[in-house]
Amino acid sequence: MKNAVMAEIEASKPSSNGLIAGGLSPLSETLWREKTNTELLGDVSARLTWKDLTVTVALGNGETQRVLEGLTGFAEPGCFTALMGPSGSGKSTLLDALSSRLASNAFLSGVILLNGRKTKLTFGTAAYVTQDDNLIGTLTVRETIMYSARLRLPDQMERESKRALVEGTIVEMGLQDCADTVIGNWHLRGISGGEKRRVSIAIEILMRPRLLFLDEPTSGLDSASAFFVTQTLRGLSRDGRTVIASIHQPSSEVFELFDQLYLLSGGKTVYFGKASKAFEFFSEAGFPCPSLRNPSDHFLRCINSDFDKVKATLKGSMKARFERSDDPLEKMTTSEATRRLIEYYRRSQYYYTAREKVDEISRVKGTILDPGGSQASFFMQSYVLTKRSFVNMSRDFGYYWLRLIIYLVVTVCIGTIYLNVGTAYSSILARGACASFVFGFVTFMSIGGFPSFVEDMKVFQRERLNGHYGVIAFVISNTVSAMPFLILITFLSGTICYFMVRLHPGIIHYLFFVLCLYASVTVVESLMMAIASVVPNFLMGIIIGAGIQGIFMLVSGYFRLPKDIPKPVWRYPMSYISFHYWALQGQYQNDLSGLLFDGQSPYDFKIPGDYILEQVFQIDVHRSKWWDLSVLFSMIIIYRIIFFITIKISEDFAPWIRGYIARRRLQQKQNLQASAELANRTPSLRAYVVPPTASHSNSSETV
Amino acid sequence: MGEMAGEGEAPQQPGAILVWEDLTAVVANPGGRKPGRKLLQGLSGYALPGRLLAIMGPSGSGKSTLLDSLAGRLGRNVVLSGRVLLNGKKRRTDYGVVAYVTQENVLLGTLTVRETITYSAHLRLPCSLTKEEIAKVVETTIDEMGLEDCADGLVGNWHMRGISGGEKKRLCISLELLTKPPILFLDEPTSGLDSAAAFFIIQTLRQMTRDGNKTIISSIHQPSSEVFALFDDLYLLSGGETVYFGDAKLATKFFSEAGFPCPVRRNPSDHFLRCINSDFDRVNATLRGSMKRITEAESSSDPLLRLGTMEIKALLIDKYKSSEYAMMAKRKIAEISKIEGFTVEFLKGSLASWWKQLRTLTSRSFINMCRDIGYYWLRIIIYIVVSLCVGSIYFDVGTSYTAILARASCGSFISGFMTFMSIGGFPSFLEEMVVFYHERKNGHYGVAVYTLSNFLSAFPFLVAVSIATASITFFMVKAHNDFPHYAYFAISIYTGIAIVESIMMVVASVVPNFLMGIVAGAGIMGIVMMTAGFFRLLRDLPKPIWRYPISYMNYGAWLLQGNYKNDFIGATFDPLVPGDPKLSGEFVLYDTFGLTLGHSKWIDLLIAVIILIVYRILFFLIIKFKESTTPFFRELNAKVTSLRKPSFNLRKNSFSLSNGTQHPMALQEGLSSPLP
Repeated sequence: MKNAVMAEIEASKPSSNGLIAGGLSPLSETLWREKTNTELLGDVSARLTWKDLTVTVALGNGETQRVLEGLTGFAEPGCFTALMGPSGSGKSTLLDALSSRLASNAFLSGVILLNGRKTKLTFGTAAYVTQDDNLIGTLTVRETIMYSARLRLPDQMERESKRALVEGTIVEMGLQDCADTVIGNWHLRGISGGEKRRVSIAIEILMRPRLLFLDEPTSGLDSASAFFVTQTLRGLSRDGRTVIASIHQPSSEVFELFDQLYLLSGGKTVYFGKASKAFEFFSEAGFPCPSLRNPSDHFLRCINSDFDKVKATLKGSMKARFERSDDPLEKMTTSEATRRLIEYYRRSQYYYTAREKVDEISRVKGTILDPGGSQASFFMQSYVLTKRSFVNMSRDFGYYWLRLIIYLVVTVCIGTIYLNVGTAYSSILARGACASFVFGFVTFMSIGGFPSFVEDMKVFQRERLNGHYGVIAFVISNTVSAMPFLILITFLSGTICYFMVRLHPGIIHYLFFVLCLYASVTVVESLMMAIASVVPNFLMGIIIGAGIQGIFMLVSGYFRLPKDIPKPVWRYPMSYISFHYWALQGQYQNDLSGLLFDGQSPYDFKIPGDYILEQVFQIDVHRSKWWDLSVLFSMIIIYRIIFFITIKISEDFAPWIRGYIARRRLQQKQNLQASAELANRTPSLRAYVVPPTASHSNSSETV
Repeated sequence: MGEMAGEGEAPQQPGAILVWEDLTAVVANPGGRKPGRKLLQGLSGYALPGRLLAIMGPSGSGKSTLLDSLAGRLGRNVVLSGRVLLNGKKRRTDYGVVAYVTQENVLLGTLTVRETITYSAHLRLPCSLTKEEIAKVVETTIDEMGLEDCADGLVGNWHMRGISGGEKKRLCISLELLTKPPILFLDEPTSGLDSAAAFFIIQTLRQMTRDGNKTIISSIHQPSSEVFALFDDLYLLSGGETVYFGDAKLATKFFSEAGFPCPVRRNPSDHFLRCINSDFDRVNATLRGSMKRITEAESSSDPLLRLGTMEIKALLIDKYKSSEYAMMAKRKIAEISKIEGFTVEFLKGSLASWWKQLRTLTSRSFINMCRDIGYYWLRIIIYIVVSLCVGSIYFDVGTSYTAILARASCGSFISGFMTFMSIGGFPSFLEEMVVFYHERKNGHYGVAVYTLSNFLSAFPFLVAVSIATASITFFMVKAHNDFPHYAYFAISIYTGIAIVESIMMVVASVVPNFLMGIVAGAGIMGIVMMTAGFFRLLRDLPKPIWRYPISYMNYGAWLLQGNYKNDFIGATFDPLVPGDPKLSGEFVLYDTFGLTLGHSKWIDLLIAVIILIVYRILFFLIIKFKESTTPFFRELNAKVTSLRKPSFNLRKNSFSLSNGTQHPMALQEGLSSPLP
C-alpha cells in the first residue's frame, strides 16, 4: 500500500514542479521537450500492465485455439523485459497483443493498461521493431535516419535540431562507425546484420517513444552483435524507456543483460520476475541448473517440448545409449517438467508479487501519452519521400540505369534494322511494324524495374504499418521521383529511334513521338505498380504483367486491324483499355499523315499517307493525335488511383472482413456451446454470467 | 585420452584416422607483390574414429578454412603447407570425393524425404545392388537419422511449406551417409536451427561415431550448452591459431589454468568465444564511446573487462603452446601417424551405370516437374488462356484480303510471343540447376546425363503445351482443316518452345543471377522476334549483321517461314480491288512476304530442330568448359568470395553473421510477396 502511494507521488512529482520528466536522461529529456514543443505534461514514462490475458485464435475451419492463457505481468520504465520461450510458445502473440497488433482473427480477453488507463497504443507512443529489416539498401545509415526524421518530425522544427536529434540517435545506437556506409541489399554489400538491426531500432526510437517492442531483435546475429544489440536495448531502457523484446536463444552474455524475464511455454507463464531470480526459481521447483550451463539454455531445455520428440525419435531409431547423469530431465519428459513448473509458479511468491505489483501499478492513473504518429505535414512528407525515392533510384543500378542501357541497345537495334526507312511501297508496312515494335516491346521492358519496385514496396509496408506517412504521399512521391528518369530514358531512346529510322520529319512530330513513348512507359510502370499491390509474389507479378501486356498488344490494332477485331470483348472494352491502341493510333497519324508513298509498281500513282491510314491501318483520322496522347496521360492517373485504392482495400477493408468472418464463426460456435453450458447452470446464476462473446468483442474493440 | 571407442566390439567398420601437422594456409595475393594473408598458422591435430570433433571459433577465425583444407576443398588460390595424413598415408583428396555436408541445404523441394534418399541411392550406389537392397539401405539411413516421422513429407521450397530446417539438415547428412563413408565433414550443421533441432543433429552425429565407428569433424558456430556437452574433442581457433585442442571436457580446465575460469552460470562455449572473439573489443569500445553507461558500474573482478580480447587471445595461445595439452596432442600425433591403417577408399563419384543414372534422373526430374506448379502446370494454363484469346481474336480468319495480314500476324504472334512465355519456368529451372551444380560438384553424375534427362522429362509437358496451344488456335482460326497442316503446326510450336527452353538453359549456365537471366532471355527473344521476318521482311533487313548471320541463326525466322508456307500454300485470297483475279498463296508469299519458295516447309522445320540440338550441345559444352577451366574459375570465384566472406576477410565488418551464404538464385531477390 505504501508503495502505491509512493508511486503516485513519484508519478505526480514532475507535473508539480513542471520541469523534470520522470526517469529521463538529460539527452532524452531535451529531445522529448523539443518534440512535444510544450511545457512538460508530466511523467512521460510508460507503465504497462496486463492481467489475465487470454488470446483465442479462430482457425480457418471454425475451430478455436487458445494461444495465450491467463498471462499476468507488467513492464516498467527503466526496465528491460525479455520474453523467452521455445518456438510456438506464444512469445510473438504476447508481443502483438501488448502492442495492439493482433491479427483480426485473434480475440483477446483480459485487461491491458498503459499508465493505468485503457488506451489503444498508437504509433508514437509505442514503437514496434519487426524481425526483418526492410531498409532502403542504397542509402547510408545517416541518410536513412535523417529522411525518417524529416518524414515524421514537425515541419516547424529547425533543420539543425533535427540533425542534432539524428546525430543523437546515431550515437545512442552506437552507429557512429558505420554512419556513412550504405546499408546494402542483395547485390550491394553494405553494413552487417547487427548494424542493420540497430538501424531499424534507431528509426523507431527517433520519435522518442516511451514504449518499445521488439520481435526477436537478436535472431540471425552472431554473439558479439547480439550482445551489442541487447546492450543498446538495455541502454535505452536505462534512459527511462520501457523495453519489451522477445528473444529466442540468448547466449550467456546476452542473458545477463535482461532485467525482467517472462518465460512462456505453450501460452502459459512458466516464470515471470527478475531474470536473476529465475535461476533460484528453477532450483526451488526441482530443476536446478547444472553448473557450466547457460541458465537460459537450461530453462529452454526444461520447457521445450521438442526435446521430447527428439528423444523419442532417438530412442526409437537408435540403440540409444544416453550417458547416465543425475539430471532430473533425463527421468521425465519435458512436457511433464513444464507442467510441474507452471504449477509451481502458480503457487510461488513470484506469482503473488507480480499480481500485487500489477494491481499497484494499474491503480495509478498516469499521463496519457501523446499519440504521435507523423507530425510532418503532408507536403513535407511528399517532399521528403520524393527526395528519398529519387536518391534511391539514382543509386540503385537495377532501378533505372540498367534499363537505360537496355533501352539504348534495343533502340539502336531497331534503328539499324529500320535504318532510313524512306517512302517506298514496302516501307508503309515497315513504318507500321516499327511503331508497333517500339510501343509494344520496348515499353514491355519496363517490367525490368519490377524487382526494385517490390523492394520499395516492402519498405513502404513497414513504414506504413508504423504510421510514418500516408498512401497518397507515397504514390505522389513515386510518380514525381520517377519522372526525371523516365524522361531521360524515353528522350534518349526516342531520339535515337526517331533519327535513325527517319520518321516523319518536323519538330512537332518528333516531340509527339517522344511524348507518346514517355506516356506509354509511364503507363506500364503504373500498371506494374497496380499489379504489385495485388499479386502475392514477385514471379506472379511478372507473369501477370506480361500476360496483360501481351493481350493489350494483340488488340492494339497492328496484329489485327481495328475493324477486324471481334466486337464483343476484344474490340469494345479491351482495345479501348489497351494503352497500345491509343499509342499506335496516335503514332500512325503522327508518322504517316502528310507523307507520300511510292505505288506498288513504279508507274503507279503516289499514295498519300492519309489514304493508307484510313484504308490500310483503319484509323479514324478525324480524331486528333493529341487526343490519343491525352488518353494515355489520363491512363497514368487512373492506374495510380487504382494502386491507391487497392492499397486502401488491403489495408482497411480486408482485415475487417477477415475479422468479421472469424467473429461470426466464433459466435456461431459459442452460441452452441454457451447454450449448452447455460442449460447446465442454475437459473439464479444465469443473470450474472457475462456471455463470453460479449467480453470478447468488447475487448477486441477497446484494446 | 581418446582410446578408440568400441574397439572391443563385434564387426566394426575399420576407422579412419586423420592427422594434420603444421598446417598453414596462405591466400595467394592476386598481384603477387605482397606475401599473402595467413589464414591458418601451424595447426596440428587429429581426428579419431568413434569421436566427434568440433572446430569452434569466432567468425573469421579460420574454422571453414581448416575444415576445407582437411576435406580437400580449399580454393586454388589458397596455398596449403604441412601434411594431412589419412591412416598414416599422405593423400590428396580431390574435390568432391569426401563426404562433406555443406552449410546450405541443396534439395529438390517437391520430393518427399524418402524419395530424395531413394533417388540419390539409385544414382550413386553400384548397379549390382537389387532394388530391395537399395530400399533396405534407404530405410536404414532414414532410421539412423531419425527421419521416420517425416519420411513421406515434402521437402518444401520457397513457395511450399515442407519439413523443418532441422529435418532438412538431417536429410542432407543422410544423403552423404548413403555411401557409408568412414569420415564425414560438416560445415556449421546447426546454424539457423533452434536448440532442440540442433541437439537432435549433434546427438545423431555422436550416435553415429559410437555405432558406426565413424570419424566426424564439424565446424560449429555458437553451440548451446546441451550441444556443447555432446562433443568429444574440441579444436578452438582464433585468428588462424590454435587456442585449444584436446578433449572438450578439459577445455574449461585449460581456461581456468590460464586465468580465465568459466563462471558457473555460463555455457563454456559462450565463455570461450567471449574470451577470444575480438569483436567484443569493438563492441565495448563503441558502447563506451556512445553511451553514458550511467548505472552500470561493472565489477572489475571479471578479468574479461580488464583485458581486451586481443590480449586474452595472445595470452591463451601462448599458454596453450606450452601446456600439457599441446604436449599430449603432439605425442598422440607422433604415435598415430605411424599406424598404417587400411587405405581408405573413397567412393569416387558414382558407381551406378550411365543408363541407370539417366533413368533415375529422368524420373526424378519428371516427378519434380509434375509436382511443381510453377514449372509447367502454370504455363499450360497460361498457354491455354492466351490461345483462347488469340483464337477468338482471329476467329475464323477466312480468305479475304485483310486475312493475308491477319494470318501472318497470327502466326508471328504464336511463334513469337507465345514461345516467349516459356521464360515463366525459369525460376523453377534455376532451382533444379542449383541441385544439379551441387550434385555435379560431388560427382554424382555427368553433364550429358543431366542434359539428356532434362530433355526427356520435359518432353511430355512440352508436348502437352504445344498440342493444347495448337489445337485451340488451329481449330478456332480455321486456317486449314486437315491433319497434316495441324501436325506441322503443332510440331513447329513444340520446336519453338523447346528451343526457348534450351536458350534459357544456356543463359542460366552463363549469367550470375535470376534477374540477369530474365533480362538476358528477354533481350534475346526481342532480337529473335525482330529479325524473324514479320516486323521487318527478311529481304528488307540490313544485310550486314542483321540479315547475314543473325536471321539465319534465328530459329524464329525458320519457324515463321515454315509456318507461312504451311498456312498460305494452297490457299487463295480475295484481291484488294473486287473483280481482280484471286491471289494465290504462293504469290502472296513471294510478293508480300518476300519468301523464296525454293525449299519445302519441312526443311525449315528440320533446320529449327538442328538449332534445338545445337543449343543443347552448347549447354553441355559450357558446363564442361566451366569445369575444365575450374582452376581458373575457382580462383576467380575464390577471389570474389574472399571479398564477400567475412571468414576470409578478417577486419572488415567482421562482427556479423552475414557469411555471404549463397542462396539459390531463385531466392536471391526475395521472390516472396511484395505485400503480405
